[in-house]
Amino acid sequence: MARRSDHKTMSVEEQPAVSANPLAGDPELLNDFILESREHLTSIELQLLTLDQDPGNTEAIHAIFRGVHTIKGMAGFLDLDSVREVSHEVETILDLARNGALEITGAVIDRMLESKDYLNRCLTELELMLQTGQPPAATDQAGLIEGIRSLSTGGGVLQLAREVTAAAGEPSADVAGVPAPGNPEAAKVMEAKTDGARSIKVDTGKLDYLVDMVGEMVIAQSLVKHDPDLAAGLRPRLARNLSQLARITDDVQRTAMSMRMIPVGQLFQKTGRLVRDLSRKYGKQVDLDLEGEETELDRNIVEELADPLMHMVRNAIDHGIEMPEERVRAGKSATARVRLKAGHQAGHIVIQVSDDGRGLNQEQILRKALERNLVPPGAELTETEIFNLIFQPGFSTAEKVTDVSGRGVGMDVVRKQVQKLRGRMDASSVRGQGASFLMKLPLTLAIIDGLVVGVGQQRYIVPIFAVREMLKPSKDAISTVQGSHEMALVRGALAPVIRLYQRFNVKARFEKPWECLLIVSESSGRQFCLMVDELIGKQEVVIKSLGDTMQNIPGVAGGAILGDGRVGLILDLEGLIDANDRA
Amino acid sequence: MVAAAPTAALKVDRRAGKYLAFQLGNEEFAVQVLRVREIMGIQEITAVPHTPNYVKGVINLRGKVIPVVDLRLKFGLPEIEYTQRTCIIVAQIANRSSKLLIGIIVDCVSEVLTLQAADIEDTPDFGSGVELPYLLGMAKVKAKVKILLDIDMVLTAQEVMSLGPLGA
Repeated sequence: MARRSDHKTMSVEEQPAVSANPLAGDPELLNDFILESREHLTSIELQLLTLDQDPGNTEAIHAIFRGVHTIKGMAGFLDLDSVREVSHEVETILDLARNGALEITGAVIDRMLESKDYLNRCLTELELMLQTGQPPAATDQAGLIEGIRSLSTGGGVLQLAREVTAAAGEPSADVAGVPAPGNPEAAKVMEAKTDGARSIKVDTGKLDYLVDMVGEMVIAQSLVKHDPDLAAGLRPRLARNLSQLARITDDVQRTAMSMRMIPVGQLFQKTGRLVRDLSRKYGKQVDLDLEGEETELDRNIVEELADPLMHMVRNAIDHGIEMPEERVRAGKSATARVRLKAGHQAGHIVIQVSDDGRGLNQEQILRKALERNLVPPGAELTETEIFNLIFQPGFSTAEKVTDVSGRGVGMDVVRKQVQKLRGRMDASSVRGQGASFLMKLPLTLAIIDGLVVGVGQQRYIVPIFAVREMLKPSKDAISTVQGSHEMALVRGALAPVIRLYQRFNVKARFEKPWECLLIVSESSGRQFCLMVDELIGKQEVVIKSLGDTMQNIPGVAGGAILGDGRVGLILDLEGLIDANDRA
Repeated sequence: MVAAAPTAALKVDRRAGKYLAFQLGNEEFAVQVLRVREIMGIQEITAVPHTPNYVKGVINLRGKVIPVVDLRLKFGLPEIEYTQRTCIIVAQIANRSSKLLIGIIVDCVSEVLTLQAADIEDTPDFGSGVELPYLLGMAKVKAKVKILLDIDMVLTAQEVMSLGPLGA
């Protein structure tokens, strides 16, 4: 049966034109289906995890049922038989559970999660097919369906079943408040109503454009406001109107920005599944604590943050948390706690991943760092410095280190990702009490705080997060190494000097370092000084790409419209120092 | 010059249409009007490092950052100081899959011409070894010759990109 339907699915997708159902091959409909089903699956997983914690939660069962039912309806409409069959079986089980005929056990949840994964795979394959035109690989759902069916016939069923078979055959849709299958449009509308959320889907491209244009509007507004001609003859009424305009622009900007924000909770919830799977795999007992899920972040950041966060949670369970017996021996509760916490802090978002496991082992970290030549022998390091060693590239690369290293598998990758998002990472730990990792991230990637600096006629923007300090060096603070490499003495440490005018081949006003301004900054753990003519000011700028033609210019991260409408280049300090290494 | 071969008849037809004529030194050039988005006076251009000398930099086109190319330098003509008549033609060029806007600096813009197929001749053969893929053809207008440019070929995005690192 499964084999036959697989074959059918394939033939439909291969030759949509000859399909009896003209809608089956419609790429637009399929895309909508994929998008919508993904959303349903996400919420289904979430509800399953809730159900796992609280098996008596009928609200969750209803919610899962609604989601599965909608997917089934749409799949039937689009002739996606494998999806339809699996969701049908899941629905049958849910219907039993809903009627009290089946007890929700761990095995049921496992099977449901498995089905969810299967459906997700189907969607991915469908997506691939739409992109490449390749028919999806035949997936075998027979085993899965058998597994699901066995739930209803196995020991899990309470003998309360009255008209179970009848109900399972064609689940009474109206109970769930969803219209009959075959009409996904109506189902969609109903779904939206039951969810109570009033929202529309907008293309992110349009949203980005809106945010860009609002950024321009803010700049244009400030241009008008600071226009010298206007300032000369400023009447009270005009001043009042202008400040009214400023207020409105401010509001519009804030609103536009908030439209790109999504709560970080979505990200946190993804880890729920990971925690469940891993704790089972290792036989550890782990509770996941979420805090500050409503904190909002730019959706681009949330997307980029998914992998690092997963990695840290995996690390925590894998290496940080002890086996239950060991925990009890150490006088801790057998069930460990992994806590994800998000919140605002001084214009930044702070996300903390902490556990109450064995913590970081300072001696081992230090020993390993010495082995790998990351610190000179005999160096005196503070606790924080030792913990930060685990973020060093190459700290744990070659061998598959687990408990031996204390922690820190691939933490350099995590930090790199966070730095790419213009954030920073810190680690702290108390031996035996647990470890905590702190990520500090900007609210949005679209805007940065920058220092506007001048070199000759040109103006550049230095991202402020990378700047440590600025100084005018004295003559004897500058020294030359081997006659060519210039170094500046900054607070007792030597840092290479990069002359921006040389690097960018422009004419500078000053060529002697002691007449110039040195911007001390740090990139990838190395300090260096950027030599510019002067500091012009500080400005918030909207980051713009220079376009396809100028994407990979070393040292330039992008462009921004400055207060006077001209374009300023945003410097990429990492690129500058890398180029310096090669020179 | 020998008239176009029969197979080229279609090509000639396709070339007919409206053109924007502009000057570079003593020569008159023209590009298809359909490709021109707007014409603006010269304005301050932000130089971008590590780009070829004919890439003058970037400008702000109503919130969009677009590259600007000096066609004089691109064609190997001597650089002159920009005047009141210097113009930036903002053109849309097609590049494999994407379309992008590019500003082109010319000495001055003269007129919009409507060219019939009969006005357009194929590029004469300048002898072997001279390849001019960016010439669409020549047009005779009032006894003057205008060089029709294929703007996609003059400024390919790959060119601007691939030359990037060499400019250092």
